[in-house]
Amino acid sequence: MTAISRTWDQLTLPGKALAILVPLLLFLTAGAVITILLFGGIVWNAILDHLEIVRLFVAVLAIVLIFIPFAFVIIYMELKIIARMNLRIGPDRVGPWGSLMSLVPGLKVLTKEDFTPTKADAVVFTWAPVVVFATSVMSALVLPFAPGLFGADLNIGLLYFFAVGGMTVVGLLMGGWSSFNKYSLLGGLRSAASIISYEIPLTLSVVGLIILAGTMSLNTIVEQQAGWFTNWYAFRQPLAVVIFFIAATAEANRTPFDMTEADSEIVAGFATEYSGMRFGFFFFAEYVNVFIVSAITTVLFLGGWNAPIELPWHVAIDINPGAYGLGLLFIIALVPVLGTLILAAPIYAMRSKTRWWVALIVGFVLFNVVAAGLTLLWAYASFDVVAGLLWFLGKAFALVFVFVWMRGTLPRVRIDQLMGFAWKWLLPAALLNLFVTALAVIVVQQWKGGL
Amino acid sequence: MPAIWYVVGFAVVSIGFVFVTIGAAWLLSHRNRGDVHKGMPYESGIDTYGDTHGRFGLSFYIYALLFVAFDIEVVFIYLWALIFRDLLLGGFVSMVLFVAILLFGLAYAWRKGVLTWR
Repeated sequence: MTAISRTWDQLTLPGKALAILVPLLLFLTAGAVITILLFGGIVWNAILDHLEIVRLFVAVLAIVLIFIPFAFVIIYMELKIIARMNLRIGPDRVGPWGSLMSLVPGLKVLTKEDFTPTKADAVVFTWAPVVVFATSVMSALVLPFAPGLFGADLNIGLLYFFAVGGMTVVGLLMGGWSSFNKYSLLGGLRSAASIISYEIPLTLSVVGLIILAGTMSLNTIVEQQAGWFTNWYAFRQPLAVVIFFIAATAEANRTPFDMTEADSEIVAGFATEYSGMRFGFFFFAEYVNVFIVSAITTVLFLGGWNAPIELPWHVAIDINPGAYGLGLLFIIALVPVLGTLILAAPIYAMRSKTRWWVALIVGFVLFNVVAAGLTLLWAYASFDVVAGLLWFLGKAFALVFVFVWMRGTLPRVRIDQLMGFAWKWLLPAALLNLFVTALAVIVVQQWKGGL
Repeated sequence: MPAIWYVVGFAVVSIGFVFVTIGAAWLLSHRNRGDVHKGMPYESGIDTYGDTHGRFGLSFYIYALLFVAFDIEVVFIYLWALIFRDLLLGGFVSMVLFVAILLFGLAYAWRKGVLTWR
């Protein structure tokens, strides 16, 4: 007994954790294996009977969790692209080209003290970031990522998107009110005023699109834009795109409309008193919002998952591995070796100083890159989901780049200019767009009827 | 499966995700009560003065009123837009009248100088 306790005392903290975790994991694995052997069939049948419920869980978890890597990518884009625009180098130490830099603030915010001010309304104070984050993520439910890859295809998809997205303002007001800080309250009220003012042109600018589409289901809207890129609604509603994008920038609280966090005027707006993870979730929600706004602009105006050009031929690669029989084994065994050697040979031959094993390693890496590229090409040609997802994410992240670009370029506008612009310019422009579209539809219908 | 379950599922999972992460951060982070100054609101390093939940500019309130009027309009106009291809000219004229009344209100507010931030 004493021997065991002495050994235990000599272990470091990771050692102790391992000594507890490994037996626990073994025990759980054994339990899982026995359970699967005994009840696996029943459980499997139950899952097959309720595939809809499984789809719900998978879809919800996948869409909520996909925003973690998305947020990290957007943070890295902000750090690196704005740095290049300012003629700086930006992060270059953590990971290749500093690409892991965005993990650092994430981990840092996780380990910081989460403090509630003495006079704050603790319950509202805690719920404010929850409301802001949850409403941002919930509006992603209707986003069609690719053919067949979406949360749910609501027939009121667009209305749901604006309704849930508009609730963000409640969270910001909660955060501003409960902090018991004059700057926070001012920031919360400012954000409420600016967001509700831009909500009107944002929602009115897409009415012309609804008239043309005749539906509010986002999946149907994307399907209507298939074919050449001239089918995209951006070319039929050019004014609407501009209004929508400007208003969406204000909705997402991004520069040049980031009055809520005007750090040179009101410290950090509604987030002044926040620290630790609750502060982190305000920022997480902001990056989620940036992606969602880009994604909805892509879906509505830039054709969603559709490729910009329609290929005149249809590429379909039909590979049936079973048909090759034993030859498959030779292919699996030989192709990597041959590929590595072929790619290593020119590197070895080019410079006499190159060692043979260096050439082999470079060749192996190159082969993997080529193989991954070929696999991606094959997947792109064979599966609509892969092709659609690639186009959708490509367009969405191009718009994210525009957001970052604007942040790197434009100065913040004054609040009176901000509010005046929404009510005196964007709202009349949106109404004009709406009535011109309606008139055009009437004229086209009459003309068709007359012929 | 009705789509409402997706909405409920999203709400539960996203709220749960936030609370799990905040809980994990609470376990990971250090905590320190500090002295009386730590719990004070941060107002540029000066002790807070006056009532925080006091009076505030009226402009926020008027913008909220305008917002409510126009947001209700948006709800009507969305439904109108959905079936516009069946209504055509009659629908167009009635919506022009409806929006004109609202725009009259906006013009009144504009004239009164409400839209100019003070």
